[in-house]
Amino acid sequence: MISGRLRFESSRATEFVDLTRRIRDEVQKSGLRTGRVHLQSLHTTLGLAINENEPLLLRDFQHLLERLAPGDAGYEHDDFARRYEIALDEPVNGHAHCRQLLLTGFATLLVEDGKLVLGRWQSVFAVELDGPRHRELAMQLDGDFVEQVEKPDGSQEARLVELELARQLMVDPDPVALPMRRLMEAGGKRLRPKLVQLTSQIGPRHDALRATSLAAAVELLHNATLIHDDYVDESTHRRGQPTVAAAEGAERAIAVGDYYFAKATRLIAEIGNSDVTTTMAEALEAICASQIDDVALRGAFPGDHDSYLRVVRGKTAALFAAACASGALLSDAPPEVVGALKRYGDRLGVAFQMADDMVDFSPSSGKPVGLDIRQRVLSLPLIYAAEDRLVGAEVRRLLAGSLGDKEVGRVAELVTSSDALKRVGDEARGLVDEAVRELESIELDGLRPTLVSLARSAVDRSA
Amino acid sequence: MSVQILDRELERLEGLWADGLSDTYHAYLESVGDHEPQAQPKLALAAALIEVGIRLQGLGGRAAAPPTLLMGDLCLARASRLLADTATQAVQVAFAQAIEGLSAAAAAGNPARPVRELLVHAFSATA
Repeated sequence: MISGRLRFESSRATEFVDLTRRIRDEVQKSGLRTGRVHLQSLHTTLGLAINENEPLLLRDFQHLLERLAPGDAGYEHDDFARRYEIALDEPVNGHAHCRQLLLTGFATLLVEDGKLVLGRWQSVFAVELDGPRHRELAMQLDGDFVEQVEKPDGSQEARLVELELARQLMVDPDPVALPMRRLMEAGGKRLRPKLVQLTSQIGPRHDALRATSLAAAVELLHNATLIHDDYVDESTHRRGQPTVAAAEGAERAIAVGDYYFAKATRLIAEIGNSDVTTTMAEALEAICASQIDDVALRGAFPGDHDSYLRVVRGKTAALFAAACASGALLSDAPPEVVGALKRYGDRLGVAFQMADDMVDFSPSSGKPVGLDIRQRVLSLPLIYAAEDRLVGAEVRRLLAGSLGDKEVGRVAELVTSSDALKRVGDEARGLVDEAVRELESIELDGLRPTLVSLARSAVDRSA
Repeated sequence: MSVQILDRELERLEGLWADGLSDTYHAYLESVGDHEPQAQPKLALAAALIEVGIRLQGLGGRAAAPPTLLMGDLCLARASRLLADTATQAVQVAFAQAIEGLSAAAAAGNPARPVRELLVHAFSATA
């Protein structure tokens, strides 16, 4: 049996705080294979619920609670003249207690094969009814555990980055830190910091702490760009959670993105290596310029292969390349090694984006199929399907019109029935081969197998 | 002369030059006299791009439409690269802290000090 507390800050009076990812992480960390996770709210104005994380539905739930226990209905609990031993800061919250009565304060979740058993649309929520506040859930995990074995796979470095990210977010003001923390805790592959940490071991001057600072800054920078991207793309969800723009509004999203853009550049400057600072600044400039091209190209949706490569090189690959180069620069690696690693990162970044495009057509990915089509995002499978001899004409006709559910479904069907996905997969694997070849002529101090395996796994993700 | 030096730094931002960036740049040029003469134009342009960039984004006010936000983002990124090329570490850090302060205030809905005042102050940062 393992016991613990899940702690979080709510940010609004009524709020559905999605804890699914955190509970999944706790299960994974614990090594629980088969068993149960018991959750218990430690508050009388905080409930638990298992339901779908869809922003409009969450608003429906909120409205339902407001109708059943309106805030202004007049509650005897709020008549302080009739109560004894009232704290000075006693809140007026009779409505919140009544609303909690309609929910549950307990939940038991099943675990099978080391994974939380949840339906496709189920998320686990703590339901804040009297926020914003600091909250705690008691949590117990029981059942059959496996013994945790320390793996020599960079997990120690990964933990250092997570600690550094947590440390950085801890000192930031809540209005910016809370949305960023939610985004970070929702997941992400942390590939870019991993690349920084690996390449920082290549030169003669390996400093794990400086590498960790740089890796964390790169991850913050990446997430800052995602926050602005999501507003630009009108995305409602990322990593299964509402985007910052959807949850907090565009104004807040812009401010949070700017804050972490600035903070990341400051952390990089504070490392004190001017080559690293310049490399990262150039990458950031390339990302922003490509974002502008990406949006401009949506007028000619789905675009062509050359435009796609140009945008992806800036939008995605520039940061991969900069992560690889800056890690190597930090360790004083020779220029030819820095150059080769930069090219490795570039090829890997483009291949990664191609694999990401393919996920949009995978029903088992956990993401809604056809999101890129709906948002008219540049996507190589769509470009290839539009060029296809058999389905191309219909794809082009559908993409030229308005895209409702029916049209999006049909386009997705046409893409999967053509050889577009196979072509994209082959091209991505070809780029990974190119990336790996870049490593052949340089001395990597035993890190070649790890970098090769990382490149292969980045594109081999059907789900 | 300084405008010629900056020509390539204005790539994709040429339209902003006539639309207020030039005036803002010249205003900052008056505040960089303590820096190396060859660094002065780039430093002044970096500050001007930050001021214009966050205005374009609508930071602290109403959010800009996506294409305008992206142009604002490019201004900030270009400024960051100019500072990386030209400024001392202390000045780079001071500029980043100024933007952190402005965006934290915007996120909280609090008033912030005027941008120009913050950036002019950042020029004088020393290690």
